[in-house]
Amino acid sequence: MRVSTLLAAALLISAPAFAQQSGDVANGKNHFDNDGCWQCHGYGGQGAALTGPRVARTALTFDQFLNQLRHPANAMPPFEAPIVPDATARDIYAYLESMPKPPEAKDIPMLYATKGK
Amino acid sequence: MSGNGKVDRRGFMKGAAVAGGATLATETRVRAQTAPAQPKAASPSAAQQAMENDPPGEAEKLTTEKTGSDFMVDVCQTLGLDYMAACPGSTFRSLQESFINYGKNTKPEWLTCLHEEVSIGMGHGYAKVAGKPMAAMVHGTVGMQHGAMALYNAWCDRVPVIVFTASAGPVEDRRPGVEWMHTVQDGAATVRDFVKWDDYPRSLQSFSESTVRAYQLATAQPQAPVFITADGKLQEMELSKAANAKLSIPKLNHPTQAAADANALREAAKMLVAAENPVIIADRYARTQQGVDDLVKLAELLQAPVIEARGRMNFPTTHYLSHWERSGPVVAQADLVLSLEPSDLYGQLNKMRDQLERTEGPKTKAGVKVISISTHDLLVRANYQDFQRYSPADLSITADGEASMPYLIEAVRQEIGDRKAAFEARGQKLLAAWKGLADRARAEAAMSWDLTPISTARIYAELYNQVKDMDWALLQDGGFQSNWPHRLWPIEKHHQFMGGSGGGGVGYQPVAALGGALAHRDAGGRTPISVCGDGEFNMAPHTLWTAAHHKIPYLTVVHNNRAYHQEVMHVQHMANRHNRGVENAIIGTTLRAPFVDYAKVAQGYGAVGIGPINDPKDLGPAIAKGLDAMKSGQPVLIDVVSQPR
Repeated sequence: MRVSTLLAAALLISAPAFAQQSGDVANGKNHFDNDGCWQCHGYGGQGAALTGPRVARTALTFDQFLNQLRHPANAMPPFEAPIVPDATARDIYAYLESMPKPPEAKDIPMLYATKGK
Repeated sequence: MSGNGKVDRRGFMKGAAVAGGATLATETRVRAQTAPAQPKAASPSAAQQAMENDPPGEAEKLTTEKTGSDFMVDVCQTLGLDYMAACPGSTFRSLQESFINYGKNTKPEWLTCLHEEVSIGMGHGYAKVAGKPMAAMVHGTVGMQHGAMALYNAWCDRVPVIVFTASAGPVEDRRPGVEWMHTVQDGAATVRDFVKWDDYPRSLQSFSESTVRAYQLATAQPQAPVFITADGKLQEMELSKAANAKLSIPKLNHPTQAAADANALREAAKMLVAAENPVIIADRYARTQQGVDDLVKLAELLQAPVIEARGRMNFPTTHYLSHWERSGPVVAQADLVLSLEPSDLYGQLNKMRDQLERTEGPKTKAGVKVISISTHDLLVRANYQDFQRYSPADLSITADGEASMPYLIEAVRQEIGDRKAAFEARGQKLLAAWKGLADRARAEAAMSWDLTPISTARIYAELYNQVKDMDWALLQDGGFQSNWPHRLWPIEKHHQFMGGSGGGGVGYQPVAALGGALAHRDAGGRTPISVCGDGEFNMAPHTLWTAAHHKIPYLTVVHNNRAYHQEVMHVQHMANRHNRGVENAIIGTTLRAPFVDYAKVAQGYGAVGIGPINDPKDLGPAIAKGLDAMKSGQPVLIDVVSQPR
């Protein structure tokens, strides 16, 4: 089983205020869709249990994000600079940050028909 | 020579064969000696040649009322086999005819499959649901080769399937040509490494005893497939009343399973009671609902968390001691691990990082004690490496987990002493940790709720919403769908989940689902559901024809991510590792240009096909339509264009 997991704990770290406005969201989306990010993290960056965690609206700082990209904590494939330059990484990061807020579970009654706890 | 002095057809052919053989041998010798020689046998006369083309003489016996294959059917019927699944093959033509006519096509009923992988693989799924094996018949050599992967999956999953193959008889009885190609000296040689036992009986009495023995071995723990070769000559030989009267069929004794010895269980109980943070990991443990109920008793007695390893349905997902979603921290904090029927004890306790240099490390803390109760060591072979890496346990109990559980519970009761209060406190902590798990699952499911392609979380939520009041049963593991079945569904009964492939052979899902659905149909009133990856489905889409033909209703939802997605990630991983970019990782791994229209494929096989469903809003109505169609006994497929996982 391919496990390319970003540090889950790192997701809990608050993003800094600067929020990487300099990234090109459209270019970031293009790379997210074509550089294979979605294969493990889903088209919406929602994550998947065995392949990679949620990256949509990531709480990582850009430096943390870049470090994970270059030196993955677990089995995530490494993306080195010749493949994804820093500027492109910044665009991808901007795209992740720009992803729309998903609905909340409490607004989806169907989810409460599932197992009760 | 017939009784009236004429040369009959059979006699003539033998004579001609002898003559021809003599001629060839003589000619070889002649060439070596460079001297002419005359054939020793005369060529057939014109009269003899005419007779070969004429109807046989009156005295030649061409029919019989009873053959060896009839007796073979008698043997199989004493085993109580409900089904014999087969794709037709001439090496078992006599047996097939005996099953469907002499045996009246009942117990076993002959099921028509379109590939031997289906014949065997459906037995794999059937046995896990029905709790008893069914049989498969595969054509000599080529059919066996087709079915080998399904047999390997069943072996790795330790599931019984009674597999028969056939072979033409001795050389003098084989027709020239294809009958030789489909004949094998040692029919089981190709699969011997992954069956529990095999035999090539050379007499009908031997067939009788070997088949009963095979059934008994297959169903004794650890269970596994068995493989019997039915000789072609034995099948087709005339069986006189006198010869039949001499044959006997041994009584089948269903084996009891081996429980652990009392001393070992007492030691295990002491260790479990003394531990501060014990954890129970259950893999291929529960064969029955009783096994599930007993594990609940043990967990509650100890107030210990249970990690469901999903080899079988072992523990209710709704129980507050079900902590598989927290397996990382639970295992890391454990001071004792009780592993029940692990398929991979090493993997339960260790991890390996898949990078250029592979590194490994423990999942557990130093000093953790490990107890295993397993039949694993009773059935280990040398060649195929499914036995996994060696991992020592502090107490390794070689016994059947489910059979041992009542005795372990009793041993723990006797050891508890004054530990009850500590256990209750531990249980309260586990209850508190468990309470957040469902909300976390819902929150994560919501993340992808409206996405297109449709998320796997949405698939499972929509499915459950419509079957929640039915007696549903899942036919797949769900690992490739991000574990949503276990995260969202209240899996509480043993029949509601049947584990995975065992061997990871792609193609398991559609074929095992067919067998599982058959067992659920016979159990009555159940709604079986198979969420099947598109790559898996493409290995055996014709399972739907068998389901339609034999009226086996179940719902297949194609998790259509238009790829062998696991392999996309593997190739992408290598492309990254080699710093070559991932653009080409789709070559050879994706199913695009053209997209497969699975609904049309299903329709072509006589099933109900719905889709492709692209909009999440269309999913609910599609499922409703599919479930409605199932009520009339039809297999249904819904093609859902989906997220990768």
